[in-house]
Amino acid sequence: MEVQLITNPEGRLQMALEAGASAEYLVLQDGTGAAARECEVAYAISLAEGASLKMVFLSLGGTVLRNRLRVSLQGRHAACDLAGICLADGRQEMDYDVLLTHEVPQCASTQLFKNIVGGHGVTRFHGLIKVVPDAQQTEAYQANHNLLASDTAKAYTQPQLEIYADDVKCSHGATIGRLNPDELFYMRSRGIPQAEARLLQQLAFSYEVLEKISSPELREKMQALVEQRLRELA
Amino acid sequence: MLAGRDTFTVTEGSVTYDGRDLLALSPEERSWAGVFLGFQYPVEIPGVSNVNFMKAAVNEQRRQRGLEPLSAGAFLKLMREKMAYVEMDSSFSGRGVNVGFSGGEKKRNEIFQMAMLEPRLAILDETDSGLDVDALRIVATGVNQLKRPDNAFIVITHYQRLLDYIVPDVIHVLYKGRIIKTAGKELALEIEQKGYDWLIQESE
Repeated sequence: MEVQLITNPEGRLQMALEAGASAEYLVLQDGTGAAARECEVAYAISLAEGASLKMVFLSLGGTVLRNRLRVSLQGRHAACDLAGICLADGRQEMDYDVLLTHEVPQCASTQLFKNIVGGHGVTRFHGLIKVVPDAQQTEAYQANHNLLASDTAKAYTQPQLEIYADDVKCSHGATIGRLNPDELFYMRSRGIPQAEARLLQQLAFSYEVLEKISSPELREKMQALVEQRLRELA
Repeated sequence: MLAGRDTFTVTEGSVTYDGRDLLALSPEERSWAGVFLGFQYPVEIPGVSNVNFMKAAVNEQRRQRGLEPLSAGAFLKLMREKMAYVEMDSSFSGRGVNVGFSGGEKKRNEIFQMAMLEPRLAILDETDSGLDVDALRIVATGVNQLKRPDNAFIVITHYQRLLDYIVPDVIHVLYKGRIIKTAGKELALEIEQKGYDWLIQESE
């Protein structure tokens, strides 16, 4: 399956996956085009029976980026895999607001959003998984992990579950932390300069999201962009 | 402290290495100067593969010496060669640094890193702790293969056992932070038979 690349979108994007359809999108916000100014993107996504969608979001540059995702799983056995990275520093603000609704039984969803925040950057993650009363045998997972790279960086996280069915597997988790000093020291003791050691750790943190990109060429390209951006991140 | 961990503060004394004030150097600068510390408890770094970790380390050491970075092919060849020293399977190179390694594998990885970096002074801190006989032999063989006239190893241990495999040139007995006895390799056997008490009495 070909990975569709969407660069610096704005406004409202509607995606309706018909029964049995599958698609993979890579959304890149690199601080140019629409992402160069305050920018809000609203995604309205629906999946019919047996449809499968993967979306990887890379928010690497911009001033104020707000991404609003509304995902509705409307047919049985629909599967949705969402993942994203925000790299924010300076005075940048990056928000992800995700509402993912399981409308019918037997659907699966995963969310993995990771942020690295430096300078006076701010990230916000608000994620809600909603499981309606009929949506039995739902599997839904959500994680948001934040790495603070400066004393003035801020990461807000609000993971939420609203479950009205009783036969479901759902979990959510959120962390906010700093680079592990033991790991840093270990790398430095082998001669890796501090800045490079931090970069290796931050790349490792990002890798879980990057490896979801199915196309090796795009994945390598995106990894290079992330690395380049991390080198600038103060 | 010798490797430069910032959780320790030196309140008195000095450390001179090769005519330089070691304590004034950052951890990476000490490594570039040829100091290597084998950790008693090697750190796990999830997400950073052994190969990327070592590539960053080796190429930085080369850069510091004014050398070009190794080509991918030359690096992998070097890595395979050094992994053989410690009988490490090549599958370890793609795994996260020390992640999910057993105690023995972690120690072997320390010796492997040492082999890659070719330090002038290696300090192995209780590298034998928690090792079974096979792992001990592998670790010791690795050390013996790396021994050259222009490098030195300080092996810190509580046991004679390791010294059956690594034959020391000089033994120092450290007690309450001071060297109380310095002698040749025969001292280890004497301690094995008589314990440490007589040395402590002699020093007091």
